[in-house]
This record gives sequence, structure tokens and C-alpha cells, in this order.
Amino acid sequence: MKKVKKVNILAILVFLCSIFWLMPLILIFLNSFKPYNDMMQHFLALPKSWSLAMYIETWEKFNFPMLIGNTLLYTVVTVLAIMLMAPMAAYKLARTKGKASGICFILLIMPMMVPFQSYMISLTRVVAKVNLTGTKMGQILVSIGLCMPLAVYMIHGFVKNVPIELEECARIDGASSIRIYFSIVLPLLKPILTTVVVLDTLATWNDIITNQLIVGGNARAMNIQNALYMQFSAQTSDWEHALPGIVMSMIPSLIFFIVMQKHIVGGVTAGAVKG
Amino acid sequence: MRNKKAKNALLFILFVVPAVAFVLFATDIPFVMNLYYSVFDWNGIGKEMTFVGLDNFVKIFTNDTLFWKGVTFTLKFAVFYVVIVNILSLTVAVVMSKERKSSSVGRAFYYVPYIISLTAISLIWKFIFGPGFEALYEITGWEFFNWSWVGTPKLAFYVVVIMAVWQNLGFYMVNYIAGIIAVPKELIEAAKIDGANSFQVFRKITVPLIMPAMSICMLTSLTFAFKLFDIIMVFTKGGPANSTVTVAYNIYQEAFVRSNYGLATAKSLVFVVFVLAVTAVQMKITKSREVEA
Repeated sequence: MKKVKKVNILAILVFLCSIFWLMPLILIFLNSFKPYNDMMQHFLALPKSWSLAMYIETWEKFNFPMLIGNTLLYTVVTVLAIMLMAPMAAYKLARTKGKASGICFILLIMPMMVPFQSYMISLTRVVAKVNLTGTKMGQILVSIGLCMPLAVYMIHGFVKNVPIELEECARIDGASSIRIYFSIVLPLLKPILTTVVVLDTLATWNDIITNQLIVGGNARAMNIQNALYMQFSAQTSDWEHALPGIVMSMIPSLIFFIVMQKHIVGGVTAGAVKG
Repeated sequence: MRNKKAKNALLFILFVVPAVAFVLFATDIPFVMNLYYSVFDWNGIGKEMTFVGLDNFVKIFTNDTLFWKGVTFTLKFAVFYVVIVNILSLTVAVVMSKERKSSSVGRAFYYVPYIISLTAISLIWKFIFGPGFEALYEITGWEFFNWSWVGTPKLAFYVVVIMAVWQNLGFYMVNYIAGIIAVPKELIEAAKIDGANSFQVFRKITVPLIMPAMSICMLTSLTFAFKLFDIIMVFTKGGPANSTVTVAYNIYQEAFVRSNYGLATAKSLVFVVFVLAVTAVQMKITKSREVEA
């Protein structure tokens, strides 16, 4: 009898702690509706009114339509490009033996072994050399290149377990290699592709470091994270605008999380091998 | 026959080369350029590059206090982070792996910080440690809220640990839950019939069987700690008084703040070797502890 009780206490603690874990987000949300004085005097209280005035002001003052547009552009283009190229490369490499295939595979997954921080400074030089510093194009190319290794690695592992007989049958029936890939292989890869989409969407939407390094202070190509960072991270204490800004930047991630929860949790475990 | 070979080669190029091109551009070429720049004295912008051989490396090991301060901070952070995050996430996972409706809500609560951006995380904690604590001090009068958490070198260390644990706990929790769910129920029941208590079951059955999950969590938390950079760059910027400079942040500082580009690339090579060596050792140790169910 005593044993059951002990386990319950641990469970209760863990559940209480989960609310505590969410507390910072709840407090940010509540305080985003308050004027600064109210934040200080009634920090823990519900806001007096749920007026969206500060949200609208922040939306207009910091040009949110453009920021969200940029971020959306980076996310969509990166994910589409990865979806197009990564499965092709992973499939072909898994099905081809030989030196060229081995070398290409190593080139593709080498970045997973070495930390990003070790080559990021030279990355800014490469981008500068091709005159893409501060541009949307530069951000997109780098973002695709950085997402590619993990995507190829994960799909490669998956393709190895897809039976090759299906492809052979189709080949005997006279289908071309490209046709086989698009109508037979690609549909079979759906589970792993979902995982890759989830990981890359979150990574690109939430990215700040690459955007800082490649785009820096160029307002026209900033994504939402970088813009909020540049605006509010310095000494300013403009919390009346910062808090609605943070909340708005998080809403897409949170909706995405709620909709894709199952895939996100599964996907993150699958991607855990990344060093 | 020859025609077929050419066709296959063409297909290979069509399928593989686009992906390789992007990776070459964004990571492989920069990495090789690092090797090249590391033997030069260069400010990163000007045309003037002086070949200095291995001088940069000698400088790192003999005359670079900030780098070694970064190494100390990083190691200290790694110990705190790996221990705290693994103990907490394993505890949470043990409770949350039970099949209850409330578990999925609880899991989501722990997991949410992992999917929001670093900008949001750093601003949230800036707000909590700043105006938030100030307001809480007014309410409670507890001295603890009145300390300058971000402004004091000693406390800033704990701020970084708290933020890192808060952000990432959900990730390790999910990995541990996957491991715990995979433990065969029969084994646990058999042990219970033999009179083992919950703790004994956990210690003697669950822990050995979740070693694969544990090695993944240990490894990822350790490499995360060694590579700690994002939180520092976005939140503390190494301050106060360079007390939260990590190895990775020191490399960034050297390149972009002090414009010692050659030295920075040399440091990043030392950093790579260091990270690879530690992960290799760690992998060997945890792999040897894994058991089959």
C-alpha cells in the first residue's frame, strides 16, 4: 500500500512541475496585454482588458507582414528544395555501389560530424565571395545546404529497408528510372519524408543564427526571429512591443506543434543521431 | 552497352549532384577554407594576408587566456548540464511514459520550449529575470528575486544552465520515453512477482534496457554542451565581464569582434578535434554498457 503512495507523490510532483515549466510562456502571454506599469504592479494577474491594441501597433510598427513573408519564403523554399533533392540523392546513393557513390555520400554527411560553429566563419566568407551577403538568395542557398545532410542521412537509412524487388518488377515492365523513382520509390518514402519536413520546417522558421550571419542587419531580408532579436535584444526595455512581438512569432510554431505533435515527437527521436 | 553506362552515369549526376552542390557550398567548402586560413594572419576583410605557419596554434596553447577561460566555462557547463538534464528528463519520462490521458498533456508542456525559437527563449528569460523578478520581489520580498541574475558573473552561469535545461528537457524526455516504452512488460511483471520493489525494478531492469536511449541522450547532451553557442550569442553575448564565454563563442568573438580571422579559424580546428575526440570516447563507453533484452 505504501509503495503505491510513493509513486503517486513523484507523479504529482512531475505534473506540478510541468505547469511550472510552462509558466514563463504563460506569463509572457498574460503580460503581453498589459501596459508597462501593470506588468510591474500586477505581474501575476490577468490583464485588465484583452485589448489587441498593442498587438496591432507592433504588427504595423515593425512591419510584420514583410517579416512573416520573408520567414515563410525561406521556410517554404528550403523545405521544397530539400524534398526535391534529398530523396533523389539518398535513393541513388543507396542503390549505387562504387567509388563515386561513396565519395558523394561522405561529402553529403560530413557536416553532421563537425559542429556548425567550426565552419560558420568561413561560410560567411564564401557567401561574401559570391556577393550574396545580406540577400534573400544567400539565406535560401545556405539554409538548403545546412538542412541537406541530416535529410539525406535519414532518408538513406530508410531507403536501405525498402525492398528492391518492386523496382525490378517495374523495370521489367519497361518503366524508366525516373518514372520508377517518382511513382514507386517516392510514395514508399512518405513516413521518413514527413519527419524531414517537420524537422526542417521548425529549424528554418526558428532560425536566428544563419540569418544573423548571412543577412545581418539588412532589414529587407531579415526573418522574423532576427528582426525581433535586433529590435529588442539590446539594452531597450520596450517590453510593451516586445512581448506581443514574441507571442506573434511563436504562434505559427505552436500551431504547427499542435497539428503535427505526433510526427514532431517521432521525428525528433529519429533525428537524434545527429552529432 | 557503352550507351547504357553513359546513361547510368547521367542519371547518377542528375540525382546526386544538386544535393552535393548545396552541401559543398554551405559546409564542405567553408570547412576546407578553414584549414587554409588557419595558417595566415588576416583580419578577414583586407587584401593583406601574411603566412604565419603554425603560429596561430602556438598562440592558442601558450598565450590566450580568454580561450582557456572559455574551455573552463564550457567544461563546467557540460558537467552541470549533462547531469541535471539527464536526471530530470529521465525522472519526467518515468512518470510520463505511463499510459494516461494526462501524460500526453504533460509531455506537451515539457516539450513546448524545444520548438520555439531561440530569440523568443532569450527574450522570455530576459523578461523573467529582469522586470519579472523585480515585480516578484515587490510581491514576495524574497531577497532571491532581488539579485542581479544576469549581471553577476557567478549567477549568469546558472542562468545559462537554467535556460539550456528549460529549452531542451523535452527532447531528452521524448527519447527516454521511447526507450522505456520498449522495455518488455513481462520482465517487469516477473520481477514484481519475485518481490522486487519499484526502485529495484527501475534500477535492475529498466536502466540496463534503456541504455541505448541513455547513450543517445548522454551523447547529444554532451555535444550540445561542448558546442554551446546559440544561447550565449543571443542572450548573454559572453557577458558579464566575459564570464559566460564558451569555446564556440570565443571563436565567433575572435573572428567578428576582434577581426583575428586566421586565429579564429585555427581555434575552430582545435575545437573540432576536441569535440570529435570526446564524442568518440563517450560513444565507446556507453556502447559497451548496452545489453540486449
